[in-house]
Amino acid sequence: MATPDQKSPNVLLQNLCCRILGRSEADVAQQFQYAVRVIGSNFAPTVERDEFLVAEKIKKELIRQRREADAALFSELHRKLHSQVCYSILSVLLTSDIGMSKPFFVSSYAALFAQALPRDAHSTPYYYARPQSLPLSYQDRSAPSAPSSGSMGSSGISSVSLCGLSGPAPTPQPLLPGQSHQAPGIGDCLRQQLGSRLAWTLTANQPSLQTTTSRGIPNTARNVTRSRREGDTGGTMEVTEAALVRDILYVFQGIDGKNIKMSNTENCYKVEGKANLSKSLRDTAVRLAELGWLHNKIRKYTDQRSLDRSFGLVGQSFCAALHQELKEYYRLLSVLHSQLQLEDDQGVNLGLESSLTLRRLLVWTYDPKIRLKTLAALVDHCQGRKGGELASAVHAYTKTGDPYMRSLVQHILSLVSHPILSFLYRWIYDGELEDTYHEFFVASDPTVKTDRLWHDKYTLRKSMIPSFITMDQSRKVLLIGKSINFLHQVCHDQTPTAKMIAVTRSAESPQDAADLFTDLENAFQGKIDAAYFETSKYLLDVLNKKYSLLDHMQAMRRYLLLGQGDFIRHLMDLLKPELVRPATTLYQHNLTGILETAVRATNAQFDSPEILRRLDVRLLEVSPGDTGWDVFSLDYHVDGPIATVFTRECMSHYLRVFNFLWRAKRMEYILTDIRKGHMCNAKLLRSVPEFSGVLHQCHILASEMVHFIHQMQYYITFEVLECSWDELWNKVQRAQDLDHIIAAHEVFLDTIISRCLLDSSSRALLNQLRAVFDQIIELQNAQDAIYRTALEELQRRLQFEEKKKQHEIEVWFLY
Amino acid sequence: MANSGGAGAAAPGRRRRRETMDVLLEISRILNTGLDMETLSICVRLCEQGINPEALSSVVKELRKATEALKAAENMTS
Repeated sequence: MATPDQKSPNVLLQNLCCRILGRSEADVAQQFQYAVRVIGSNFAPTVERDEFLVAEKIKKELIRQRREADAALFSELHRKLHSQVCYSILSVLLTSDIGMSKPFFVSSYAALFAQALPRDAHSTPYYYARPQSLPLSYQDRSAPSAPSSGSMGSSGISSVSLCGLSGPAPTPQPLLPGQSHQAPGIGDCLRQQLGSRLAWTLTANQPSLQTTTSRGIPNTARNVTRSRREGDTGGTMEVTEAALVRDILYVFQGIDGKNIKMSNTENCYKVEGKANLSKSLRDTAVRLAELGWLHNKIRKYTDQRSLDRSFGLVGQSFCAALHQELKEYYRLLSVLHSQLQLEDDQGVNLGLESSLTLRRLLVWTYDPKIRLKTLAALVDHCQGRKGGELASAVHAYTKTGDPYMRSLVQHILSLVSHPILSFLYRWIYDGELEDTYHEFFVASDPTVKTDRLWHDKYTLRKSMIPSFITMDQSRKVLLIGKSINFLHQVCHDQTPTAKMIAVTRSAESPQDAADLFTDLENAFQGKIDAAYFETSKYLLDVLNKKYSLLDHMQAMRRYLLLGQGDFIRHLMDLLKPELVRPATTLYQHNLTGILETAVRATNAQFDSPEILRRLDVRLLEVSPGDTGWDVFSLDYHVDGPIATVFTRECMSHYLRVFNFLWRAKRMEYILTDIRKGHMCNAKLLRSVPEFSGVLHQCHILASEMVHFIHQMQYYITFEVLECSWDELWNKVQRAQDLDHIIAAHEVFLDTIISRCLLDSSSRALLNQLRAVFDQIIELQNAQDAIYRTALEELQRRLQFEEKKKQHEIEVWFLY
Repeated sequence: MANSGGAGAAAPGRRRRRETMDVLLEISRILNTGLDMETLSICVRLCEQGINPEALSSVVKELRKATEALKAAENMTS
C-alpha cells in the first residue's frame, strides 16, 4: 500500500469514515464532525499502559475461550511485532470492538477491553515504562535529557525520564504536531512523536491534552504544553504515588503534607478529597498515615510531661524511655528520606527496584508500627499517673503473650522502676527518704515529733505501691526504714548501717531493676528479708540491752498489777491508817515516804534502782466524800524508747487495772480483819449470850463474803493475770520486731481489761461487783459497831458483876 | 509508519512496513476486530500522528453503528 505518509489527520479521518460507512465523502459530513468532536474531546485513556501486560491479558482471555491455537499464534505475532513499533496500534485493536464467536460474550468482552482493560490496574501505577518496553527504535535516541533536534526535541526522552521520577508528570508533548511540514528526519520525528505519545499515554495528563485537542488538531498547542512540562498546575491534576510518598514521609513525623492533612474533627489523617486519586492509593496512604497519628500522640504526651514540673522521677524516666523509642523511629525516617533524596539527585530513574512506593513503605513500617502502637497504648493507659502508679500501669502491660511487645514493655518498665528501686534501697539501708514528688510508697509526716515516731511518722501510701511489690513486702520495707530511723533518733544509736547489716549492699543499677523482674521472687524478696531480719534483730537487741524493755515489762507486772505480793501487803499495812482519812488531807510526799519504807522492807529492794526510780505514788482526782482509798494509785514512769511500747493509753489502762486490783485486795484485807475480830472476840462474847444470834449471823455473812472474795481473787490471779502474762511473755520472747512486741502488749492489755470487767460490755457486772464491795465495807462497819457495843456491854456487865460481888462481901461483913 | 530500521533504503523499509502490517492484520483478525487492511492502515497512520487510540476506537465503533443504522434505514425505505 503506497499511501503517502504525509496525509494530515483530517484527511485520514475522512478517509476512515468513508471507508467504514461505505459512502462518498460528501455524505459522511455528519459522522465526520462527530468523529472530530470525539477525538478532540479528550477521551480519558483507561487502558493499561503496559504493552506486556496487555498482551498477557489477551492471551489469558483467549485461553479462557479455549482458543489455544489462537493464543499461540497471537504470542508469535506479538513477538514479531515486539521488534516493531506499534504499541499504539495494539491499543487501538484492543479498544475496538472485538466480536466473538459467541454473541453473548460480546458485551462483556467489549466492556472488558474497551473500558478499562485493567480493572486491577494502578495499585502501583507505573508512571513510566520500563526501558525495555520502549520501542527499539528508541534506543538510538536514548540520550537522556538532551534535546537533540530542534522543536520536537527534548520532548520524547526527557519527558520520559522526567516522568519516571517524581512529581506530577510533565506535560506530554505536542500530540498532534504539525510536523508534517518538516521533511527532514521525518522518521525521527515520527519516532519521537511516538515516544512522546508514549510518554503522554503513560502519564495520562489530561488537562494539557484537553487544551491541545479541544480544537481538533491544533498545532500551536506545543508551546503551551512545553511550558507546562514541569508544571503541576491544574487543580484536578492527578496526584501520583511519588507525591504521596513524599507526603507520607512528612506525615510520619506529624507534619501535614500537601495532600494529606490532619483532620482535627475526626482526629485522623485524611487525604484531601479534591485530589484525584484511586481508591487503593487513598486507602494505602491512610493506612500509612496511622503511623503519623501514633507518633503525634506519643509526642504530645512527652512534650506535655516535660513541661510539668511536678511530674517526678518516675515520670521523667518514662518520658526518657519514650524519647529513646522515638529516636529509633526518627532514624528509620531519616533513612527513608535519604533514599528519596538519592533518587532525586540522581535524576534518572534507577529502576523500579530502588524506588519508594507506598507498598514498600507499608512493609518497612510494619514493625515500627507495632512498636508505636504499643507505646501509644501505654501512653493512653498512663495518662495522669505518676510515681508508683505509673509503674503499676506499665507493669500491667507486660502481661501479654506477644514476646515482642513484652520485651519492649519490660525494657520500659525496668527504666521506669529504677527510681522507685533506688528510693527503696536508700530507705532500707539508710533510712533516708528524699521524695520531693511523693512518688514512693512510704510517706513521712514531718509534723510528728520523736515520741510518736514509731507510730505516726511513717505511713504507707497505698496508691503508690507498684503492682510488682506485694503488700507484705511493702510493709516490711516500711518497718525496716522505720526501725533505722527509730534507732537513729529515739535510741540515739548512730551505728552506721554498714556494720549493722551483714548483707553487702549491691550496687544499684538498672541491672538491678531488670533482675527484679526476671527473678522477682527470689532476689528481691531475699534482699528485703535479709535487711528486715538484721535491722529488727539489732533494734530489739538495743532495746533490751540498753533500755531493758523486758525488765520494765516485768516491773509493771510486779507493781502495777500487784504481782509482788509481799510488797503490796506491806504497803497496804502501812497505808491503812493514812488512807482512812479523807482524801483532801493526804499529802503526796507522805505517801511517797511510806512507799519507800515498804520498798526497803521487802524483796522489792533487790530490784534495780532504775526500776525503783520509776515507781511512784499518784493521787487521782478528788471528788467530795472520797477517802484516801479512792484516790490512791501507784505509778510507773516511762520515757524514751520504752514509751513507744508503753504509750500513754497503755499507762492509763494499767492504772485502771491497778485500781480494780487494789480495790479487790482491799476487800480481802477488810475481810481478814473481820475474821481477826471474830477470833479475838468470840471467846469474850460467849458470856453475853444475847449477842450470839447476831454474831452468828455476822459470822455466816462474813464467811460468805470471804468465800466470794477468794473466788474472785483466784479468778483474777490465775485466769486473768497469769495466763495473759504467760502469753505475752512467750510472744515477746519470740518477737522478730518491735511491731510484734507492741501488738502483743496491746493484746495483753485488752484481754486483762475485758476479763477484769473493766470494758464497756461488762459494765452491769462491774456495778454489781462494786455493790458487793460496798456491802463488805458496810459489813465491816456494822461488825465494828456490833463489837464495840458488845464489848461495851460486856465491860459494863463485868463491872456490874464486880460491883455485885463487892456489895455481897460488904453485906456479909455487917452481919 | 515508523520503522525499526530507521529511515533506511525505501525497499527494505517498505518490506518491513509490509511485514508489520501483515502482522498487525493477523493480530487484528485473531482479536476479531473486524478491521480490514485499509481501515487498519488508516488507523495506524492516525495513531502515529498522535491521536488517542481509545478515542479513535470509539469513533470507529460509532461509525459502525451509524453504518448499521443507515443500512437499516435503507432496508426499511426500500
